[in-house]
Amino acid sequence: MARALGIVSFSENHIWVEGMETYRSIGAFSFLGRYRVIDFPISNMSNSGIDRIQVYIRRKPRSLVEHLGTGRHYNINSKRGYVQMLFTDSPQENDYYNTDIKVYADHLDRIERASNTHVVIAPAYMVYTQDFDALLNMHEESGADVTLLYHSVDNAKDAYQNCDCLNLNRQKGVDSIERNNGTKKNRNIFMDTYVMKKEVFSELVKEAQKTSSMYTLRRIISDKCMEGEMDIRGVAHKGFFAPITDFKSFYDANLSLLDLKNAKSLFNESWPIYTRTNDSSPAQYFDTADVKASFISNGCLIEGTVENSVIGRGCVIKPGAVIKDSVVLAGAVIGDNVHIEGHVVDKYAKITRMKELVAEPGNPGYVKRNDIV
Amino acid sequence: MKQNNMLAMILAGGRGSRLHDLTNKVAKPAVSYGGKYKIIDFPLSNCANSGIDVVGVLTQYESVLLNSYVAGGSRWGLDARDSGVFVLPPREKADANLDVYRGTADAISQNIDFVDNYDPEYVLILSGDHIYKMNYAKMLQSHKENEADATIAVIEVPMKEASRFGIMNTEPETGRIVEFEEKPAEPKSNLASMGIYIFNWKLLRKMLVADMKNEESNHDFGKDIIPALLNDDKRLFAYKFKGYWKDVGTIDSLWEANMDLLDKKNGLDLDDHTWKIYTEDVLVLPQYVSSEASIKRAYITQGCIIEGEVRDSVLFTGAKVGVGAKVIDSVLMPGAVVEEGAVVQRALVADGVKISSNVTVGSADSEHIELVAKNVKG
Repeated sequence: MARALGIVSFSENHIWVEGMETYRSIGAFSFLGRYRVIDFPISNMSNSGIDRIQVYIRRKPRSLVEHLGTGRHYNINSKRGYVQMLFTDSPQENDYYNTDIKVYADHLDRIERASNTHVVIAPAYMVYTQDFDALLNMHEESGADVTLLYHSVDNAKDAYQNCDCLNLNRQKGVDSIERNNGTKKNRNIFMDTYVMKKEVFSELVKEAQKTSSMYTLRRIISDKCMEGEMDIRGVAHKGFFAPITDFKSFYDANLSLLDLKNAKSLFNESWPIYTRTNDSSPAQYFDTADVKASFISNGCLIEGTVENSVIGRGCVIKPGAVIKDSVVLAGAVIGDNVHIEGHVVDKYAKITRMKELVAEPGNPGYVKRNDIV
Repeated sequence: MKQNNMLAMILAGGRGSRLHDLTNKVAKPAVSYGGKYKIIDFPLSNCANSGIDVVGVLTQYESVLLNSYVAGGSRWGLDARDSGVFVLPPREKADANLDVYRGTADAISQNIDFVDNYDPEYVLILSGDHIYKMNYAKMLQSHKENEADATIAVIEVPMKEASRFGIMNTEPETGRIVEFEEKPAEPKSNLASMGIYIFNWKLLRKMLVADMKNEESNHDFGKDIIPALLNDDKRLFAYKFKGYWKDVGTIDSLWEANMDLLDKKNGLDLDDHTWKIYTEDVLVLPQYVSSEASIKRAYITQGCIIEGEVRDSVLFTGAKVGVGAKVIDSVLMPGAVVEEGAVVQRALVADGVKISSNVTVGSADSEHIELVAKNVKG
């Protein structure tokens, strides 16, 4: 039996991915052609021996529910463990009250009943790999009350805008948590990933509820850092890290993996990323195809030009079409002689009439799901 | 079983010795095809898509990989209650010695107890090494409409090739089979048996029990059971199948069947969402095409990394083509690696085989396709 219960959390209210999030939560976003963002936290847990995983869902559940299904594809013994989806019951339209604390409190009896001694909380909206078993060991050895995972970056001025940062002291104690305001290059970006004993978690949830009905787990932990009575420590993460916290970060994360060095640091044979298969046939390239520096998913029919792009499952790319620096999601059709640059094309969009859709990669454009352009 | 009272038995024991080194360690139904599939995925997926819930897979030659591959049935969705894929190698029984399957009919005879467990009205006999998509439910419907004792799927072949097949001579109006000729020197018809049979189980059971005791018999459906049924004046009907069907017996024909997929309107249409072919799911990235790559007319699946030139070729799961390498008119089986600057032409590179840098294998004007089954070093 794994020590920890896995909790996959949803994003806070200040995070909103323009366009795409209208249709599904970030965890259900397609990623690198064949994955969904949530495959990463769940695979991390499964590979770390965590076999009880709760996925919390705030809104637009359809896509995520469809993808997770029985959870069987995550390689978890279905008798001993589970992937369980838990929803906020709040009928309120105002999302500000739909906090993670609210939903944890609603299901606290369930969490407390589990025989696990610890919780590992990881966000559904960040792409990275991490051995949580090793993290649990570090947590226990350090004697900390709470361990937070962070990633040191040197480009926090232009990226990670909706993320939080940890201010650490020399002993890796967390002095405070603050929003990245883009004033410094070097920052320790908080990966919204927590390890703690289950009782500590319960207490924090209860206390947060009493403090404010809009409180989040991050807010209460941040308070605790300031108070200085709890031992809250940071552990540095190494490897590929991409939080999906706005539209640009989704686009950038996909394209950055076109550098095979990055892809190899995220995907490792000993740490498989599980996903749901769609049973698509292989991709077919025709005489006029010209593909360079791209990831192509199965089921694609390619007659046009693709450069520096990620193409999702079952896309049709007609003769004369040119796709550059773009992320095309599953089932899109790019018609004859259509020229697309610097765009995210959402699922099942059909672009045939509009022949030029060109944006700068620094400010990518978006074509809506099912849109006919 | 609840769906249509028909149980399927897939004959998957054959070695396929003309596939040489490809079937040294695996039976022919376990040979890879079409980038991501194994040949046996076709009959199994056809069963799943036709609403057949219980499938017995009769294995014999090098069956370990095949047994673990088909067991469970979840890959084809055949794992619901009252359904399943059951691997049936020869086994020792209380009333009989352990014996190999002596022929196609004997393989079923030795598993009469298995079929009886399900008490089906109809039994569908399939071959595990054919590539095609077929709705067996329609064939069953025709079997019922004809009030047939047995129905045999047939396909029209060119008359000049008919002498290579088992040929059914039928009444043109009704499709009732009047005569069966195995590889006739002078064929009277071009309707070739596909080795796909629907029998009424009660009748077949009786025939099999008799056949087991007959010492003269080859215990073969084509040679013994079908002629015996015709002899007894039973109602046998031909069911005409139209569409892509291939029995890949040789390296050349396996290569050719893969090349067929390069045509835009190929008859097999694996992209058909209403009749998907299900297979093993692999945990690999989508295919990666580097900035140096060039790909024309190719069929490529996930896990491949292409940094060189690929033309008129089929690449299976995890195949790699290095910088400056050329793969032309060829098939790279799962995990095959063509290193930098190597050239592969009119060849079929077997699973996991590595072609070292700057080596050339195969040639543009060879008569036969070269099978590369061992690593080639420079």
